[in-house]
Formats: sequence, structure tokens, C-alpha cells
Amino acid sequence: MNLRNSIFIILLLIGCLVQAQNKQLLYDFTEIPQAAMVNPGVETDFQWYAGIPALSGISFQAGSSGISVDDIFANDGLDINDKIRNRAIYGMDVRDELSGTFQIEFLNIGFRGKNPDLFYNGGMYLEGDAIGYWFRDYAILAYEGNADRLDESFDLGHLKTRGELVNVFHFGVNKQMGNGLTIGGRAKIYSSIFDFNSTRNSGSFITSEGQNNIYVSTLQANMRLRTSGLNSLKDSFDEENTSATILKRALFGGNLGVGFDAGFTYHLNEQLTVTGSLLDIGFIYHSNDIKTYSLQGKTTLEGVEVILPDAFDDPNTDFWEDLVDEVEEFVPFEDDARSYVAFRPTKLYASIRYNFGEPVESRANCDCGPYSSNGAGNRAKYVNGVGAQLYAISRPRGPQAALTAFYQRRFGNFMALKTAYTVDKFSFTNIGLGVNFQAGPVNFYAMADNLLSYRNIAASNYASFQLGLNIISWGQ
Amino acid sequence: MKILYKYILAFIVVIFSATSCVEEQDFDQYDEISVTPTYEASMLYVEAPEEMVNQAPSNQVFVQNFNFDAFSYKTFAERVLDGSITYIIENTTSKPLEIIVEFLDDQGNVLGPLERFDVDPAPTAVLQREVAYGDAGRPIDIITNTSSIRVSTTNLGDTTSVSNEDDPKIIVKSSAKFRVRLK
Repeated sequence: MNLRNSIFIILLLIGCLVQAQNKQLLYDFTEIPQAAMVNPGVETDFQWYAGIPALSGISFQAGSSGISVDDIFANDGLDINDKIRNRAIYGMDVRDELSGTFQIEFLNIGFRGKNPDLFYNGGMYLEGDAIGYWFRDYAILAYEGNADRLDESFDLGHLKTRGELVNVFHFGVNKQMGNGLTIGGRAKIYSSIFDFNSTRNSGSFITSEGQNNIYVSTLQANMRLRTSGLNSLKDSFDEENTSATILKRALFGGNLGVGFDAGFTYHLNEQLTVTGSLLDIGFIYHSNDIKTYSLQGKTTLEGVEVILPDAFDDPNTDFWEDLVDEVEEFVPFEDDARSYVAFRPTKLYASIRYNFGEPVESRANCDCGPYSSNGAGNRAKYVNGVGAQLYAISRPRGPQAALTAFYQRRFGNFMALKTAYTVDKFSFTNIGLGVNFQAGPVNFYAMADNLLSYRNIAASNYASFQLGLNIISWGQ
Repeated sequence: MKILYKYILAFIVVIFSATSCVEEQDFDQYDEISVTPTYEASMLYVEAPEEMVNQAPSNQVFVQNFNFDAFSYKTFAERVLDGSITYIIENTTSKPLEIIVEFLDDQGNVLGPLERFDVDPAPTAVLQREVAYGDAGRPIDIITNTSSIRVSTTNLGDTTSVSNEDDPKIIVKSSAKFRVRLK
């Protein structure tokens, strides 16, 4: 396999392994400008900020809800084939998934408008989003076959996957409405580099006792794989102009879509706050470089069947070719280039937070903070904050949710820590830690999830980190 | 800016190096992964009525080559390890019959020994035979080189009697069950 093919496969795997990340540590971490990316209605006291290009927001996550590297490759003396059979093939459920994510911000800036209640931000980031559920019956068929499994139905619907690599341009506005309410919205233009999805498959393959012959094999399929951009990428590897192709497709040369985010922050009282946001309510219209593959129909086979004497009426009859033609007629494998719409995986965040302890003086050059004359126009920052968060994302097998409890501690305006305990399908022991440093105008943050798993990261079902670097001004 | 990048990279490396551990993994085990599923399906079904048996000239009911490319597909032929072919013969005619099954390559050459069935007239029990291929049976090359199957049926009895069974006929059923190596 040459290098170009390897890169192509790696790109595809990245697409396959990425899904939208729960950024529970970043959410409502108001010291960090990127908190606005997960809640456009977050309270912000910056005059302006500018992310360091390609460093302002980097995040990565990998997760497997059913199995870990250690389960298969641990040096434990067990036969790896037994481990695969017991822990993967039969140990995983069809709701188990293999997933991950990465996001890289290339541009992120924000500034306060002439009306100090308005804060604008915008930028561009590259994001992958995909998910692959465990295709159990396919794995059984591939690993053990259909022999000695009479009347066992293999569910073709177990194939559920989607993925994409998309460049996102965004511009948002955040407004303090007064009375403790801040709202925000963000418009997005998606420029898809590639996309694939195969999520609405159904059908079965079953071998039973035959009516005529010994066995009858029945295939009923309603399957479809839609792709866009993959052919361009593959061709670009052959033509050695991959970078130009990716760049072109990332900068409006691929398939385009639109979407928006919305969010709010509301003070129930001076110290109690609720927030919420909906992200990526949108779609991409895929109309160029489309390739859709489908397998639809039903056929039953009992091998080559020859019923004499009628079968000899035509001495040139090729019974085998007739059988192949019959299968292709009843279950045709076809491809087309019809356009399609792919909806973005919408994310929901919500939180409730109780602030307590000493108030922290705001650095903002405004009449805001705990002692402001206009009431709770901007949230008072306290040394301590504790609360709970909810995260949910739309997925091919239904919404997935995560619950988080967090504690945040501020050390003046220099440093803030946030620790969170999250329960989701990947882990019940996910403890994460995020830290934010502010040295003059330089802002640096780093966050990592599932820290307990670092004792043996190979056994982890989930790992993620985020970091970023910004320049922030409070206009002082 | 380059210095900044270096500091950040160093920070990441230090944090992860200081906090993470990995118990010993043996990725060489990948080479030991063996994926050898076994698949089975019907192969060939031939049915001839007693009327055709009685009318056969020289008692040769039929000799017919049936094109059968399933075994010679590259994806199968290069991966098959071993397996078996099962035959089930049902004879409800009043005649004893000789049925011969031969595997032929794409040049029409006979591969391996022929499979001969001497079938008693009705009422007779169903004749079933399983023929193994691979290490424990006949050479697997017979399977991988098969391009067609020849079935010959000869009437070893009279040409006038009629069976008392309903719809008397000779039926040849067959199925294949083979193990293939995917990894």
C-alpha cells in the first residue's frame, strides 16, 4: 500500500472515528472565549479576543463503549481469538459504538460592539463528525459464517454509520438583555469536504431447510450508502494534489449547508444560574461528487435448480448464469449520483449552577459584575461554582445523553479550575479536569477527561482533551 | 510563534507522560488472529420424472454438464481451506438407477474421482453422502478448479414399469459447506 492510499485510508478512518464531543468542561467556563462555541448565550466580559490561529481551540476525543484496546491486546496469555469472540463478537451490543472526534480552530475572534451589550464573534474551524455502531450480525457472519445456524436471521440493519469532515464558517452575536438574561445566536455555513452515511438499513439473511434442495438462502435487503466528496479525494491522491483538493472543498468548493446555534444564560437569582444551548441545527445539501450505492430487494436461493425435462428445452441454457442474473434482478446493486440532504447532529446542553464564596472582581471595563449598578446585567463571578449539566446529541440509534456534576474554583483572575464527573454510555467513572490560565492578555486552557483511566489508558473506553491559546483584552 | 508551539507541545507531552500509564500490550497478537468462517448453501438440484426415465434411449436418462462458477471465483478459490459436499438422492421411481457426479475444470477435464450412487427402486430410503475436501478428504484443488458439474443418470432397470408412488421421480440434491480464511 503506497503512502497516498495510506493517507486516504487514515482520512477515512478519522472520519469514521469522529463524533461530536461532549465538552462538559468547556461548557459555561466563562473565562475561556471558546465557551461561546458551546453556548452562544454565554456571559462574556471581554472587550475583544483573538485566538492564536490553529491553536485557539484543539480538541480530540476517542471512545469505544463496548471494548478497549486492553480487552484485546493485553499481554494476559489468553488466545486473542477467544478474546475477540467473547469480548467483541458476542460481548458487544448493537448499541455499542466506536467513536471519536477532533476539532481545530483556524480562526476565532470576538469583539464588543458600540453597544456594550452586544458581543460579536466569528471564525472558522475544521470538524469531523461520525459514528459507527457495532455491526454484530455482520461480524458473526464474517467471523463464524452461516454454517450450522439454520433459521438464524442475520440482521442487515446492524450496519449504521455516518461521518463527515466539514469546514465551518461562523458568525455570532451575544446580547445582554438585562434582568439577568443573556442570549446568543450563531449562523454557520458548512463546507463539506466529505460525507458518508448508511443509517437506514434493514433486511436479513437467513439459511433454512429448503423446499426442493437441502437449504434455502433468503436475502432481503434495503440498504443504502450515500457518499459525497470521497471520489474527489481519491482522485486527488492519484493526481498528487490532495492538499489543493481538500483546501478547495473546505473553502466553499465542496457541498454547502447552513445552520445555527442558539443559547442563553439566565440568573434565577444572584447566585443561581441556568443555561442552555442548541448547537448545529442545520443541514448540508450534497449535490456534487455524489455516489450513492444501494442494495434493495429480496431473493430466495436453493442453488442451481434443474427441473427436467422442461429445463432441456433450450440446450444452450446456462443455469448458473440464470441464477446469477436472477439474484442481480431481484436484489440489484446499483449506484447513482442523486443529491441528498444530510442533517447535522444537533447537540443540546443545559446546566444549573450555584455560585458561592467570595465574589471575584471583574476585569471588564464596564459597570458589571456583583456590584454593578444595573443589577444582574452580567453575572457575578464567585470563587466557587457547583452545578449539574446535561448533554444530548441526536444519533442514528436515537439521542445519546450524558449527565455531569461539576465544581469550579477561581483563583483571582489568574487561574480557574473546573472538575467534572460525567456519566454516559462510555464510562461511569469519568472525572475530568480543566484549567485556565490568564497571564496578562495571554489566555491558555487545557482540559482532559476520564483521568482515572490514565492509570491504564489502554483499558480506557474514553479519553479526550482540549486546549487552546488566546489573546484577551478587557479594554483596560 | 514557534517558541509558543514548542511550549504547548512540551506541556502536552509532560502532562500526558506524567499522568498516564499503559499496562503491557502485545500488539504482535494481531498476527495470531485467525478468521476462518464456515459457509454453507445449496449447490445443485436436479429432478427428473419417471416418464423421462422410461423414455430414455439406451437407458441413458441424461448426461449433462452444468456450468458452476461459484467455486472458481477468485475470492473463494484463493481462500477456501476445507469443507464438504453433501448429496441427498431420492428415488421414487420403480427402477434402480446409477447416478454419477463429476467435477470438471474449464477445459472439460474430470477433476478427481467421480461420485457414484447406486440407487435402489422405490420404496427406498433416502441416500445421503457427505464427501470431505481438504486435509481430511479429497484434494481441495478439485473444488477450486471446478468450472462445471456433470451429472449422469442411467436406468439400470426396465423401461415400462411405473412406480406406485405419487409423482415418481429421481431427485439429486446437493449442498456445499466450506471453511474459508479471511485473515
